[in-house]
Amino acid sequence: MSYTDSGAALRHVLPNGMVALIRRNPGAPTVSVRGEVRVGAALEPSERGGLAVFTGATLTRGAGERSFQQIVAETEGRGCSVSAGGGTQASGFAGKALAEDLPLILEVLADMLIRPTFPAVEVERLRGQFLTGLRESEQDTGYRASMAAQAMLYPPGHPFSRPSSGSLASVAAISRDDLVCFHRRYHPALTSIAVVGDIDPPAVVAELERRFADWQVAAAPEAVHISDAPPLDCIQRRTISMPGKVQSDLIWAVHGLRRAAPDYYGAMIANMILGQIGMGGRLGEQVREEQGMAYYCYSDIDADLGAGPWMAAAGVSPENVEPAVEAILAEIEQFRAEGPTDEEIDDARAYLTGSLVIGLETSDGIASSLIGIERHGLGADYITRYPAIIAAVDREQVAAAAQKYLSTESYVLAVAGPG
Amino acid sequence: MSNPVIAHTLPNGMLVLLKEARSAPVATSWIWYRVGSRNETPGRTGVSHWVEHMLFKGTPQIPVGQLDRLVARNGGVFNGFTWIDYTAYYETLPADRIALGLQIESDRMVNALFEEAEVASERTVIISELEGYANEPETWLDEAVKDAAFTRHPYRHPVIGYRADLEAMTRADLYDHYQTFYMPNNAVLVLVGDFDPDAMLRMAEASFADLPAGPSLPPAPAAEPPPQAERRVTVRRPGPAAYVQIGYLAPGCRSPDFAPLAILDAALSGAKSLTFMGGGTQTNRSARLYPALVERGLAASAWSSISPSRDPYLFELGATASEGVDPAAIEAALVAEVTKIQQDGIAESELSRTRKQMRAQVAYGGESVTNQAMQLGMWEALDSYRRVDTLLDELAAVSAEDVRRVAQRYLTESRRTVGQFIPTEEA
Repeated sequence: MSYTDSGAALRHVLPNGMVALIRRNPGAPTVSVRGEVRVGAALEPSERGGLAVFTGATLTRGAGERSFQQIVAETEGRGCSVSAGGGTQASGFAGKALAEDLPLILEVLADMLIRPTFPAVEVERLRGQFLTGLRESEQDTGYRASMAAQAMLYPPGHPFSRPSSGSLASVAAISRDDLVCFHRRYHPALTSIAVVGDIDPPAVVAELERRFADWQVAAAPEAVHISDAPPLDCIQRRTISMPGKVQSDLIWAVHGLRRAAPDYYGAMIANMILGQIGMGGRLGEQVREEQGMAYYCYSDIDADLGAGPWMAAAGVSPENVEPAVEAILAEIEQFRAEGPTDEEIDDARAYLTGSLVIGLETSDGIASSLIGIERHGLGADYITRYPAIIAAVDREQVAAAAQKYLSTESYVLAVAGPG
Repeated sequence: MSNPVIAHTLPNGMLVLLKEARSAPVATSWIWYRVGSRNETPGRTGVSHWVEHMLFKGTPQIPVGQLDRLVARNGGVFNGFTWIDYTAYYETLPADRIALGLQIESDRMVNALFEEAEVASERTVIISELEGYANEPETWLDEAVKDAAFTRHPYRHPVIGYRADLEAMTRADLYDHYQTFYMPNNAVLVLVGDFDPDAMLRMAEASFADLPAGPSLPPAPAAEPPPQAERRVTVRRPGPAAYVQIGYLAPGCRSPDFAPLAILDAALSGAKSLTFMGGGTQTNRSARLYPALVERGLAASAWSSISPSRDPYLFELGATASEGVDPAAIEAALVAEVTKIQQDGIAESELSRTRKQMRAQVAYGGESVTNQAMQLGMWEALDSYRRVDTLLDELAAVSAEDVRRVAQRYLTESRRTVGQFIPTEEA
């Protein structure tokens, strides 16, 4: 057991290995709970795609002595909420309440994580909802383009090659036993929980000790490991024709990097300049503001436990697909060749450090930051160190990251639309 | 306890609302104009939303492309949006930078350029925004329901406008709309955050007091005549599922019946978060529609809503059908839940649950200065900022009988428009 009191945030490790992050934020009479178990779809067999997501969603459907109907009646009746879900690299859970109701949501969340009951009737109801959701996704141009891009970027079998929500066939095939088995992967040593709000931290530590003390799992924890994909060596393009649609979504993508990569900050700032800051960075400036071709054009980089895609996306009229692709490629090529300007670096650094206080304004924002810091082992003083980290990123590092990862010769391009 | 709201009207008629909130070193500046699709005339649908876009396209002091950089460089976030009754803009910044928000808003209230080239480039951006919405079956159904539910009132057309109007709109149309509605006497400035309110008010006066008041505003739009019969619309196109949407013509937010209707909505699908920007909690699964439709396997999701509006708008119900379920069965199940309340009213326990849920949603909204200012501005644009506080009292005063009465009065067959989206086989 250890206490590390770092300024306002308390980090406490329970005897079973679960990490608690607690911070008092008395700005409103509320409390936010965020947490994650670092197991996810990366651990499921591809023919059971959607298993991690399904398992997470089933936790609210019956836990401990409570049925789903009792859980929602008790929590929603007080204006609180509890939720859980799954993703590729981690399975998240959350709660929100008036501060006076924190004991209730911790009790229910502990039951959900430790003692879910997976009632058969609820499993079938959820399956029906998932299948409808998947049918809706299948007709969503953005989703289809994104999935096509990921399937080209990553080899079959790689967790990033398929959606964490699974397919109609795989979700139909998941049994209640599959859910029970996947839940056995939930392990306190892979779990962190953040509690932030108008609370008394020592009392919350005591409550967590009490609620989670009996979470003991005999098996050793199996963490998510995501391998790097083989590098791209050509241009791959896929077009998906979707009758009835009016607009096309297009996605250009390459492999990005892990959060732990030494050039993470250079790449993150390169992405901000390319397609985030202001109205979508250089891409937004060119494709939206200059050429008026799209309502949205931006880039995004998914740097997490695994190296996710670095992608650029736009929604355009079918006749503008080729001009938009050309404009995006031209911006990427210019950015690779010339790197950012000093002014762009200054703007990005000023935004990242200045906006820190906005991201940490609410208890939800603080709790999410604490969970991210814990996931990546950034250290209890990370928020304090952050401005200095950002100030140290220079133009050369950003230019080097852009040159290393971005490409106009080897990339994937997916277009989904009226076709 | 949160600080009181300070209200001060400048000589040019602009109302300034200030609220000190010291829990984080952050402040937000919002400006609200009482203009939206409600104020649009035939042939000019979408003009309010397009004007909103043009306010990001440059003034002599802040040329096009500079506003976003200026806010980002100061660590801030910004946006603007247009709805049926109002158009709003905000900047949320580290508290010591909040003067930038005032500078931007006072400048673009009068100095926006509307250059021809920028109008031309924004036309295709907005048509692209429209095409993005037009990819969604829910949009097709929603637009068909609104179009049928209103015969005269401008609430019948989409906020983004009709494509033909967007293609024909001229710079003069846009500028005329801007000149008509973007006036201090049609605006509300809302400032919430970590500042000294007296100093902040002086800053607001310095930025806005010299702007001239405009002429009186055009008359209010034509009232929607009372509907005489149920209207029905069916949309048949390729899609992933069947959807049902039912809209009942319901009074605006100034009506004393608004609070009972809000409780009715909460009884059907939970008390909603009062903000557009999240931060609330989900409360629908213990309300009436979820067990009746989703748990019975009829629907994958079910919802109800009442949006506060100036003029009578819609109390709506809707659902996404489960695979193989006839939309007629969904419609019948939704209407059955309304009928039950019309016959039996709601339980005292539902009333007390709704009050507690509302208290919680208000507390969650209070965590962020951005959400606090949004609430104050929205209510002032619609009625009075005081509703942020008094609405909880209004809701507390609602009886179960009030809820049954408003259900009987407004959720009637002749006041409703029923829309069904039926997916067709792909071509």
